[in-house]
Amino acid sequence: MKPLGSAQRLLTTGALLFYQAAFAHGPVFDCYIERDDQVKCEAGFTDGSSAAGRKIHVRDMSNKVLLEGVVGTDNTFTFQPPAGQYSVVFLGGEGHDTTIQSSDISR
Amino acid sequence: MTFNRKLLRALAAATFSCLTGAAQAHFQMLYVEETALQRAENLEFALVFTHPFSGGPTLVMEQPRAFSHISSHGGEKIDLRKYLRPVQWQSRENRATAYRASIPRELVRSMGDHIFVLEPEPYLETEEDVYIQQFTKLIVNVGGVPGHWAEPQGLPVEIQPLNKPYANWTGGVFRAIVLADGKPVPFAEVEIEYLNHSVDFENNAFGQQAHVTAPQPAFNTLSTYSDAQGIVTIGLPRAGWWGIAALDIGTTKIHKGKSLSQDAVLWVQARDMK
Repeated sequence: MKPLGSAQRLLTTGALLFYQAAFAHGPVFDCYIERDDQVKCEAGFTDGSSAAGRKIHVRDMSNKVLLEGVVGTDNTFTFQPPAGQYSVVFLGGEGHDTTIQSSDISR
Repeated sequence: MTFNRKLLRALAAATFSCLTGAAQAHFQMLYVEETALQRAENLEFALVFTHPFSGGPTLVMEQPRAFSHISSHGGEKIDLRKYLRPVQWQSRENRATAYRASIPRELVRSMGDHIFVLEPEPYLETEEDVYIQQFTKLIVNVGGVPGHWAEPQGLPVEIQPLNKPYANWTGGVFRAIVLADGKPVPFAEVEIEYLNHSVDFENNAFGQQAHVTAPQPAFNTLSTYSDAQGIVTIGLPRAGWWGIAALDIGTTKIHKGKSLSQDAVLWVQARDMK
């Protein structure tokens, strides 16, 4: 097999890095009800990077933001749930927003 | 493993093979249906000491010494023994005491890796007059967030994964380090078995049909050794569960006046690409 030239090697390496960067960093998000009836949400990324500092929105069914919070250093955010149906949105970055409906949040 | 135990096992296996076409290898199962969960759910465990390829015979388990959960957050260790309940497990050949455990979602709802560790009471293998104690690990992941799956858990004997045990494609390769007292064990004897029968939780039994047929008894239990650095490498040629057991690597060699083989077991789940 003919050895790869340095330029070709660089291009191949660059393509691999880009591929990894594009696909190894997906958002993950889940919420559940704690014993004190507070809702605790956990946010993160599939490559293990921290979600600390990212925003979370609690919205009503008309998409109005009822509450805005920030993911803590332990990758969680806890809030008092509003009455009625709502959604929780993890703003994980461009193309990385993830939404959970209140009907999917349980103990 | 002592030469005596090897010889006895070989003779027993050869004799058994002549009779039934199956070979014997003891494996402590620590089974759940799925280790890569999208979201947390109640986990139903089966703890069965058996021969997973042939689906039996199953060996009587005493009350385990320890059954623990190491959480994805902060590595908190939780004693799960209160969830254990004895059952009579129906293998393809016999019924014997095994354990079931229903672990509530609340304990495993955090995203990341949840490590389960079983330390059984040593089992007296009367044919060989030795005790066998298999320290067994299973790792469940919630949500795809990586965690502490690669960290050793400080067990006397242990298999430390170098790949995520819950995220493997069929046809892939799985690597791990065999440890005793936290140190790699070079050239450890390692056995690998495929769980060749379905697990019927409703009836506490193995399914009747074998998934595959071995062409010859040597295929029932695959054998290899760790390398000079204690690393063992196996292939995963079929979807399902693969058990890896490193044999007789513990420093404690005597139990109740008889030889003790402290083995380390890790379970790995493979999934088809489809």
